[in-house]
Amino acid sequence: MKFLRRVLGLSTDAEAGGTDTAVDIVHNAQEIASPPPEPVIESPRQDQARRAAVAELQGRAALLETGAYVGTRPLPPLETIVPRPGERMRFGQLSDPGMVRSNNQDAIFGMVVSSTTDDAWPDMGVFVVADGMGGHQEGERASTVTVRLVADHVIDQILRPMLDNRLNEPDRPPLADVLRVAVQEANDAVNQDIPEGGTTVTATVILGDLAYVAHVGDSRAYMITDDGIEQITRDHSLVQRLIELDQLTVEEAAEHPQRNVLYRAIGQSDNLDVDVITRRMPPRGQLLLCSDGLWNMVPEATIEDVVRRHSDPQRACHELVELANDRGGPDNISVIIVQMPG
Amino acid sequence: MVDTHKFPTKQPDKSQGESTLQPGSVLQGRYRITGVIGVGGMGSVYQARDLRFPNVTRYVAVKEMLNLSTDQSIREMTLKTFERESDMLASLSHPAVPKIYEYFPSKTRAYLVMEYINGRDLEMIINSSTDFLPVETVLRWALDLCDVLGYLHSQQPEPIIFRDVKPSNIMVDEHGQIRLVDFGIAKIFQEGQKGTMIGTEGYSAPEQYRGEASPASDVYGIGATLHHLLTRRDPRLEPPFTFHERPIREVNPAVPPEFEAIIMKALEFKPEDRYPNAAVMKQALEQLTHPVAPAISVGVKPAPEEGGTTWVGAGVKPLWVFECEDEIRSSPTVYRGVVYVGAHDNNLYAVNANDGTFRWKYPAEGRIVATPAVAEEDNLVVFGSTDSLFYAVDVRVGQLQWTVRAQGPILSTCSIVHGHAFFGSDDGNLYAVRLATGRVQWKFASGGAIRSRPLVAGELIVFGTEIGDVVSTDLSGRMVWRFRAKRAVSSSPLEYDGLVVFGSMDWQVYALDIARGWKVWEFRTGKPVVSSPAYGDGKIYIGSVDGSLYALDLATGKERWHFETEGQITSSPAFANGAVYFGGVDGYVYSVDAKNGRLRWKFKTGGPVPGSPAVVDGVVYIGSMDHALYALKA
Repeated sequence: MKFLRRVLGLSTDAEAGGTDTAVDIVHNAQEIASPPPEPVIESPRQDQARRAAVAELQGRAALLETGAYVGTRPLPPLETIVPRPGERMRFGQLSDPGMVRSNNQDAIFGMVVSSTTDDAWPDMGVFVVADGMGGHQEGERASTVTVRLVADHVIDQILRPMLDNRLNEPDRPPLADVLRVAVQEANDAVNQDIPEGGTTVTATVILGDLAYVAHVGDSRAYMITDDGIEQITRDHSLVQRLIELDQLTVEEAAEHPQRNVLYRAIGQSDNLDVDVITRRMPPRGQLLLCSDGLWNMVPEATIEDVVRRHSDPQRACHELVELANDRGGPDNISVIIVQMPG
Repeated sequence: MVDTHKFPTKQPDKSQGESTLQPGSVLQGRYRITGVIGVGGMGSVYQARDLRFPNVTRYVAVKEMLNLSTDQSIREMTLKTFERESDMLASLSHPAVPKIYEYFPSKTRAYLVMEYINGRDLEMIINSSTDFLPVETVLRWALDLCDVLGYLHSQQPEPIIFRDVKPSNIMVDEHGQIRLVDFGIAKIFQEGQKGTMIGTEGYSAPEQYRGEASPASDVYGIGATLHHLLTRRDPRLEPPFTFHERPIREVNPAVPPEFEAIIMKALEFKPEDRYPNAAVMKQALEQLTHPVAPAISVGVKPAPEEGGTTWVGAGVKPLWVFECEDEIRSSPTVYRGVVYVGAHDNNLYAVNANDGTFRWKYPAEGRIVATPAVAEEDNLVVFGSTDSLFYAVDVRVGQLQWTVRAQGPILSTCSIVHGHAFFGSDDGNLYAVRLATGRVQWKFASGGAIRSRPLVAGELIVFGTEIGDVVSTDLSGRMVWRFRAKRAVSSSPLEYDGLVVFGSMDWQVYALDIARGWKVWEFRTGKPVVSSPAYGDGKIYIGSVDGSLYALDLATGKERWHFETEGQITSSPAFANGAVYFGGVDGYVYSVDAKNGRLRWKFKTGGPVPGSPAVVDGVVYIGSMDHALYALKA
């Protein structure tokens, strides 16, 4: 065969190792057995080529014939959010000291940015719940500082670059890392300035239909969709670990004397491991963030029911706080509900 | 750990002043306090000089236990328990157990006078050392520790359970001997107190948090202590019960695998999976110091992953083998009982899936590197070739229906959606071809050769280029976004839950927001990534030229496990029924458990396996550079 190909003059290039992916791989791997270099600033020539390419495609691209769309779809259609004009993400939030405590060591933050511009940037939401711990107002200070610093970092590293049209620059840190660093910076600040204080934090950034959740401690994020309610964060508590190891049942954990013991929190140590998860929000999906003052008192099924029943997320927040208070409200109660359009 | 209820007023803080005996004060007219050894939540431990022996300096340790409950009955009960413990201690006789000299209770406190141990505890020893402790030293301590705890566990009628094995409760005396201190007496006082822990976070066995303790719980404590000593990783700073996530030898390769295996067995979550008591653990350790015939025999399993060669490999026999005339570097497609595969001999082969018999072949004019795709409604099998042609062949008989000519070789596999084939070429264009007519609907000039398979998800097309751009267009070929990796992206993007994932020659695996191309996470492997990702069970599976197959959590981008092979992995994995299948340049076809990355089986072919498997109905079809197409039982 090789002989034939050579006679036909078909693959002299390829024989030299030029075009075949698999062969290339082997060679390239040896050639670049060193870390990839820093990005090279593009020469103007290349840039021109790119621009020309883009111009060409925009000029020449013909529309697909409408008849082309009837084929079978191999993937389930991705239900993306296409909001009706004037519809956008809505949220409600409430933080309450509860029935027993005189002070509120929880802190919350909520913000929605929405624009209509030619470049069609997505709506953005920033939501943070922090549950502070520590005497002498140290708990309040820890949660307050955390909420402020996380929001500040996210606005600086996501919102501002988005407004400046810099978010798709190649060297930007991944969005998940922005949230991770935001929480780590809050941790550094609390460690330095509030030695006796600590706090949990569950922070969400929503960009378009993707929700990024950074999480430390035992505050929680739930996703409520047509399929039901799902806890998307994992408590960093001793009892949760025991449940995962089949050493405790959920019911036993609820009564366990050490159910308040966390193994990860802001203000505990210098090196903080932060969970950052990314989830797509379906149309009309809702995200609920809360401190343990809510989930310790109100069962998941009830939370789901209340969230579904209200079209106004702020009213749902009020009802959930009331329910927790009706059941004794021994701890501070904080809740944020975000409703996606669609 | 942090206790969310740790704050308002801690009892010991309040009582600290009155509980502390001042240096110089004399207890019972006999023990002059000379210093404080330690301060605990329930009282202090003092160093004192025994005045009965005025001519020699004889030190004792005086342990003070505060009994501060305001409830009369609780106070009495506490006192009784304390007395019982003291009696028990006094009856023990073991060189590692400190001797008890005297015990005197009072209304609000009790004192225990015991042997003063001149030395340092293991926690101090770890903290003052800067490097790993010698393995032989740790092994000797481990034997001594098991010896004394084995002695306690052998007590009649009931075994004594120490409950709190941890470095700070183990001392090394001036003669280098291990001594056990702090016999859990303080714990009797602590029990039932709100917000405090039973045992110590980090070293206690899981069942102790249920209030259960057995000799096997102490075995866990020994394991946890040894793990800390050998790795220098303080378990109190890690999530509880995660020793298995920090394999000792990964941190400290000087530790023999057999020693590691014993410690890991001691650290099993379930008590019944550990050594039943310290004496049995000691027997296992003794095998390390006296390597009789086979060193690994007493209940120590060798590392399970790689060892089981008895059935790994030898047991896997191909269902059939089909020989082509040249290397197979592409991946087969299976459709209605027929396997289609392209080879370097320019042919596209159609082979019966059940027995590997030949049906037909179609000769292109160049090599077929791309995976053939079947257009069901049009009864076509379509594929590109290095001859710059895109072929559409009748899926049943192998007769040519039409071709499309690109301006460069076609190495990109095509995607078939909405009655169109989408593929890229080295000429830099992405082509959309109407399958029914073979007409090019549009092409998109990306600026770089396209060798990845275009992903079509909803209304978007995403593909990688050899100049490192990942481009998204809509179905009409208009650009939506462009992402720039630092090197070529030959890996074919995969979409799941709003994220698009692919690898790059810049060593990274990227996840982007599919709607906008914004980077969500990145994961760095040790070499270029040309393998394309597969999804299953919440995880992304992708190979790297560094030789490993990685399983990454889709939502977090964190590694769940990786599986190492002897060569590069350029093959794209396939996921089916909880298993991952892929080929290696080392010549093997691998099947690993998707949950934990353990090898299920491997099969040796006669050459590197750069292509990817197709897994259909429990059969893996994969080609090798030894010219053969294999059908293997999944």
